[in-house]
Amino acid sequence: MSQLIWNGLFVGSFYALIAIGYTMVYGIIKLLNFAHGDIYMLGAFIGFVALGSFGSIPGSMSLIVLLIVMLLSMVLTGFAGVLIERVAYRPLRSAPRLAVLITAVGVSFSLEYGVSAIFGPNPRVFPVRLSNDGANLLGAHVSYSQLMLMLIAILLMIGLNAFVQGTSTGRAMRSIALDTKASLLMGINVDSVITRTFFIGSALAGAAGVMAGAYYGNINFLMGFIIGLKAFTAAVIGGIGNIRGAMLGGLLLGLLEAFGSEWFGGQWRDVFSFSVLILILTLRPTGILGGRVTERV
Amino acid sequence: MNKIGYKVVLATIATAAVLATSGCSGVLSGGGSDPTNDTGPIMLADIVPISGSLAPSGLTMKNGAQMAVDEINAKGGVLNRKLKLDVLDGACDPQQAVSAANKAISNGDVMSVGNYCSGAALPTLPIFNKAHIPMILAAADSQVLPDAKSPNAFLINGTGVQQAESAVKFMKKEGVKSVALVDDNTQFSKDITTGTAKDLEKDGSVKVLLNTSITAGESDYSSIVHSIVSANPDMLYFTAYYQEGGLIINQLRAAGFTGKIMVGDGSVDPALIKIAGVANAEGVFATSPPTPDTLPNAKNWVANYTKKFNIAPGPFSTQAYDAVRLAAQVITNAKTTDGPAVIKALKTIKGFQLFTGTLEFTPEQTLKSGGYVILVVKDGEFTLKDSLK
Repeated sequence: MSQLIWNGLFVGSFYALIAIGYTMVYGIIKLLNFAHGDIYMLGAFIGFVALGSFGSIPGSMSLIVLLIVMLLSMVLTGFAGVLIERVAYRPLRSAPRLAVLITAVGVSFSLEYGVSAIFGPNPRVFPVRLSNDGANLLGAHVSYSQLMLMLIAILLMIGLNAFVQGTSTGRAMRSIALDTKASLLMGINVDSVITRTFFIGSALAGAAGVMAGAYYGNINFLMGFIIGLKAFTAAVIGGIGNIRGAMLGGLLLGLLEAFGSEWFGGQWRDVFSFSVLILILTLRPTGILGGRVTERV
Repeated sequence: MNKIGYKVVLATIATAAVLATSGCSGVLSGGGSDPTNDTGPIMLADIVPISGSLAPSGLTMKNGAQMAVDEINAKGGVLNRKLKLDVLDGACDPQQAVSAANKAISNGDVMSVGNYCSGAALPTLPIFNKAHIPMILAAADSQVLPDAKSPNAFLINGTGVQQAESAVKFMKKEGVKSVALVDDNTQFSKDITTGTAKDLEKDGSVKVLLNTSITAGESDYSSIVHSIVSANPDMLYFTAYYQEGGLIINQLRAAGFTGKIMVGDGSVDPALIKIAGVANAEGVFATSPPTPDTLPNAKNWVANYTKKFNIAPGPFSTQAYDAVRLAAQVITNAKTTDGPAVIKALKTIKGFQLFTGTLEFTPEQTLKSGGYVILVVKDGEFTLKDSLK
C-alpha cells in the first residue's frame, strides 16, 4: 500500500512538472502547446550531450555534475521555448485558435523528427545513472535518488509559486490571464511576459527531462509523446490555467495509475484512471481547482 | 503510437480492404505495361519501419536485404535482370504500412520481402494478394498472419505459437514452477503470452501467477514491477520490445526481484542490455530465432556485413537476407515474375538453404522447423544457451 502511494507520487511529480508548462501557457494565451512534451524530450537530449562532454565522471561527483547539467538544460530548453513561441505562435496570435493548434502539432513533429535525424532513432542510454540504494520507509522501498528528484521537483514548484504570487512579472502574468487587452491598456508589456512564461514552462519541462534520463537511464526521441498527453490530462483535471491545479492533477493521475494497475491489472490501468478522470470532469467541468469561467461579452 | 493495438488493427483491415480495391484498380488502369516483359530491374518491395521507435530494426533488415540484392546482382541478377530493393517506411503502423503497400504496387514491385511488425503487416496481406504479389515475410511472426489464410503470404520466421512452445519447453527444463507473463498489448507480443498461458494450462506443471500488459512508450513501470514483485514468480516472461524490456529489467532488479527473467524475440537487441544495465541483464534468457552471432554458419557473413555497413548485423538481418535470396530463387524457378507462377514456385520449393536450416513450409505457409532457440545474456552479450533440439 505505502509502496503504491510512493510510486504514484513519484511518477505524479514528473507529470506535475510538465503539466505546469501546459497550464501556464494555456492560462495566458489560451493555447494548447502540444510541443510541450517534446521540450521535455529536448531537455533530456541536451542533458545527454552535456553529460557526454564531461567525459567520465567519478561517482562522488555525479550528483553535482548532474545538477549543473540540469541547470544548463533548463536554460537551453527555456530559450528553445521562447524561440518556438516567437517563430510558431506569436505571428499567429490573432489567427483562429485552430491554426495555432496546428502549428503546435507541427512544432511537436519537427522537434521529434529533428532530434531523430540528428541523434538517430535508437534509444540512447544516459551517461549517468542514479543508484537505486535506498531505505525502507513505512514499508515502501524509497531510493535516495527518488527522494532527491522529488525534492528538486517540490523546490521548483515552490519557487514557481512564489514567483507567480510575489513578483511583478508574476502579477503581470496573472493579470494577462484574466484579461489580455486590459493588461495591455494598463501598460503591461504583454509580449515580454508571454516570452517569460514560455521560458519558465519550458525550463521546468527540461528539468524533468534530465531527471527522467538520469533516473530511468533511457531516452529516445518519442519519449515526450505519452508523458505529454498525460501531463496535459493532469493539467485539465487540476483545472487548466491553474498552476496549483496542475501540480495536484499530476499527483492525482500518478496515484490513480498506481492503484488502477494494482487493483485491475496493467491492461486495465488506463481504463480505470481515465474513467475516474471522466467522472471528475463531469462533476467539475473546470477541473478540481479551476475557477468558474464567466462568458465575456 | 507506433505499436498499435488489436482493435485498431481490425479497424484498419476494413480500411485496407477498401484501399486494396482502389489501389489495385489504379494499377490496372494506370500501369499499362506487363511487368513480365520488362527489361528494367525486378523491383522488390521492402516495407520495414524506417521511422518510429522500431526504426533501428528496420535499418538492420534493410541492410540485410540490400546485401543479398548486391550479391545477386554481382552474379548477374535474376532472369538476366537486376534486382532492385524498393524500401518503404511501414513505421510499424497499420495505416502507414497500407499506404506503403499501395505505393509498392504502383511502383511496379513484383514481390514483397520485408515486414517487421505483425500488426503493420496484417492489413497489407489482402492488398498484395489482390494484386497477385507474393510476400515473403522476413520477421513478422504473429499467428494472425497465417490465420488470415492469405494464399500469397509465406513466413520464414517462426510463429508466435512456435515461440510460445519453445518458451514452455525451456521453462520446464529450468524447473520453473510459477511464471508471470507480460506483454504490451500488440499483436505479436500478446500472441506469445496467450500461447504460453494456454500451453502451460494444458501442461499443468507451471503456474501462471500473473498475465498482464504494459503500455509501451512510457518510462516508469513501477506499478507493473510492484505487481510482479508481490506475485513473486520463479520467472518473468516478457514478450514485447527491448526499450520497455530494458526498463522493466532495470526497475525489477532495483525493486529486489531475484527470480529468473526471460524475454521474447522483440527484446533481443544489444540496446536491451544497455538500458537494463549490464549487471542487471546478466543471466536474462531470451526466446529468439537464431541471431547472426549465434549461427555457426554465419561467421563469414557477419564479417562481410560489418565491413559493408560499418556496423554489426542486428537481429533479423539474416532473415531479411534470406528473404531476398528466396525471392530470387523462386523467380528463377518460375522463370517469370508473374505473381501466381511465383506463388506456385514458393509452394513447391525444395532444399533451399536458410541460415536456420533447410526451408520447408507447413500447409499454412509457415516455417516447419528451425524456428527458435534460447539465448542468455553473458558478460553483456546475447549468447546461445540451448538450441532446444
